[in-house]
Amino acid sequence: MNYSRRNFLATGASAAAVVLTSGCGEMRSLGTRWRGSTAGPLPEDLTPPGSPLLDETSHLLNRLTFGPRPGEWARVRSMGAGAFIDEQLAPEKLDDHACDRMIRRLEVLHLPPGELYEYKEKYVLEQMTRGTILRAVASRRQLHEVMVDFWTDHFNIDPSKGDCRWLKAADDREVVRRHALGKFSDLLRASALSPAMLWYLDGRVNRRDRDTDRPNENYARELMELHTLGVHGGYTQQDVMEVARCLTGWTVRDRKELRKGRVSFEPKRHDDGAKVVLGEPIPAGLGAADLDRVLDLVVRHPSTARHLATKLCQRFIADEPPAAAVDHVAQTFTRSTGDIRATLRSVFATEAFQSSQGGKLKRPLHFVVSALRATNAETDGAQPVIESLLRMGHAPFRYPTPDGYPEAATHWTSTLLWRWNFAVGLSAGKLQGTRIVLKELRDRLGDDGLMATCYGRQPNASEQRAFHASGDGLALLLASPAFQRC
Amino acid sequence: METQTFITGTGPTPTLVVVFLRGGADGLSLVAPLGDDQYHKARPRLGLKAATSVALDGFFGLAPQLSDLEPMWKDGELAIIHGAGSEDQTRSHFEAQDLMEHGGLAGGGWLGRYLRARSHGPSGALSCIALGRALPESLLGAPGATVMQSLDDFSLGESAMGVREQLRALYAQEGDSLKSAAHDTFEALGRIETMRATPYRAEHGAEYADDGFGQGLRQIARLIKAGVGLEAASIDLDGWDSHFTQETLLNPLLTRLGKGLAAFRRDLGRAMDRTVVVVMTEFGRRVRENSAFGTDHGRGSVMFVAGGGVRGGRVIGPWPGLGDSSLEGPGDLPVLNNYRNVLAPVLLWHGMAPGNLGTVFPDFQVTGLDLFA
Repeated sequence: MNYSRRNFLATGASAAAVVLTSGCGEMRSLGTRWRGSTAGPLPEDLTPPGSPLLDETSHLLNRLTFGPRPGEWARVRSMGAGAFIDEQLAPEKLDDHACDRMIRRLEVLHLPPGELYEYKEKYVLEQMTRGTILRAVASRRQLHEVMVDFWTDHFNIDPSKGDCRWLKAADDREVVRRHALGKFSDLLRASALSPAMLWYLDGRVNRRDRDTDRPNENYARELMELHTLGVHGGYTQQDVMEVARCLTGWTVRDRKELRKGRVSFEPKRHDDGAKVVLGEPIPAGLGAADLDRVLDLVVRHPSTARHLATKLCQRFIADEPPAAAVDHVAQTFTRSTGDIRATLRSVFATEAFQSSQGGKLKRPLHFVVSALRATNAETDGAQPVIESLLRMGHAPFRYPTPDGYPEAATHWTSTLLWRWNFAVGLSAGKLQGTRIVLKELRDRLGDDGLMATCYGRQPNASEQRAFHASGDGLALLLASPAFQRC
Repeated sequence: METQTFITGTGPTPTLVVVFLRGGADGLSLVAPLGDDQYHKARPRLGLKAATSVALDGFFGLAPQLSDLEPMWKDGELAIIHGAGSEDQTRSHFEAQDLMEHGGLAGGGWLGRYLRARSHGPSGALSCIALGRALPESLLGAPGATVMQSLDDFSLGESAMGVREQLRALYAQEGDSLKSAAHDTFEALGRIETMRATPYRAEHGAEYADDGFGQGLRQIARLIKAGVGLEAASIDLDGWDSHFTQETLLNPLLTRLGKGLAAFRRDLGRAMDRTVVVVMTEFGRRVRENSAFGTDHGRGSVMFVAGGGVRGGRVIGPWPGLGDSSLEGPGDLPVLNNYRNVLAPVLLWHGMAPGNLGTVFPDFQVTGLDLFA
């Protein structure tokens, strides 16, 4: 007998055919039916970048998307930088039905939280992960996907904790995706009341039944340290305790309630005394409205604007962005009362953004997705791709602590073996469930055109030499230093 | 760059090896309280006998199948923690394993969170491996943890030699961290290839058994000695759920465990000084044997901590006795040493900053045992 959980699950999968809940066996069969979705027909104009340096168009594609597809450079150059930014900041106007149709098959992405409990946890996690990979590869709403990636880290929830294994799927849809380009205050409120977040940071057990009960500070602390003010944002331990008191009584009552998509406020478990948060008095007796007072206070705090501006600049400009850019973005955040679109627009308008070409290292997800996009690969986003990302240490929904995957390059330059391995495997067609048909692309672009499409600029002499001498030009191209950067 | 010292050095990378005995190993059959009369009353048929056991300290005795561990004990490199376990009361394998491997109700595994929180920056391709087919829950969230069945996983393949040479040329022209990352990667690849090409011979007369556990430990020893920067390795030994005819089930497992660990230590030689092996299980078993010559799910079991730096040769208690008044619930040895109080000093020895204790073991006030010299 074997009693490890994973073996138990493996056994469960073989019986899955007769029940609704299904395991890996079911997923494999889905994989074989997965055809032609992420690989679109090639556009008419495949003109590759002609400059030896990354131009404005390639820079935008590197930073606002998960990497250019063939022909995208020509499209964006002809529409102009401003129009492209406008397009990406209005994802609702972009027809994305091809991607939507593909995602529709991943049913856990569409279910209310309560119904997710019908599924085996590994199945939920795999579908969520596939959904994220496939959307990053295939969605036309690229900046939206980039921001989903950003907020997923910012409000990180590891599904391996408690009921998060089911509830994170709803959090991804109702919190992160719904508000990724909306108002920060709406995003924060949705996150605070997300069943998954109430589980992950113990809000559900933060209550005062008796006078002697001490509040659970976990969420209150991360709310200020990670989600809003930042660690040196000027709050005190006293503030953490007071915020925790304000939030007592909010909980996830049971799965029946969750089926209706509801979390509960239990007035009897709420500490209804007067509090002081960040120097502001909150009078006794407000009940559930304490939550709104707290969120309002933290969102309007100047440290929050600075904290978010810093993180956005680190994501879009440089690991150590210049102070002037951060100031400018923080001001926009404040002036626009936390409008994420306006704030992003101000990031892209900074001098620092416009002069930061190629200065960032792609994180592994970006690297993998950009390789799949550049080669117009057809992929099911399933286990082999996830496995590659796991080895690179960057599979979606696998980060254990609330701070989310780190941004800076220093965290991602340990070994390049798994990146190279992926490049070689992809090129050789050894990645099960993923396929590249390079012929048309190569015929139309030529070798230099293919390299320029991937690099976002013309290859230099050593790159050309290496491409031809390697025996496997595509693998070399995707594994080369320039393709690791953005 | 810091990874450099891991990959090229015989440098001071300490390695932590976690052995998980799945199924709930009967601590009282691994390390028996021979001096406790209640033990012999509760285990008239299954209890270890003083005559055949390995005497440890005049009170406890080691199962005869673990006799290979005696030199380690005598040299003071093996500490035994009795009454070890978690606060989980369900006596369910899954619940108890999950709680223990996650290190509490938390995201990711304790080892994964620890490796993430480590201060020395990025880790190499071979810094964290799990022997077997899947990543254990304890390693969830570890940066770049690799499930390994064979060294062939660490390769670009024979056909990619040309790619490799050209990458070497391109990365040599880089000026930043990519250059050193590539350098380290080539270095690691080279070492792995040498390892693959050279048949491995265990040293100091160590002989590994041919079972999966012995061979897994052999791979771990090999990686440690190759200096590839292995920080943590995890390996399971399954099958400890001994509800009936316990002896036929446990005896071969005990032999595998004892011979495996002894061979590992012998093979490593001085490298054992910077290695710590932790042996753990999700729970122990009912004190009173059942009518089927077995034992049912209980609470406290044993943990082993072995290594050159360990202050061993001790069974760490306290021992409450096995009288009815000392037992818990349906008659179980209570958990007197929470597993985190064993793991915390191990991680601190390994190099964890004390400030990270709260991240690795959230919601738990650690009072670490005194395990290291």
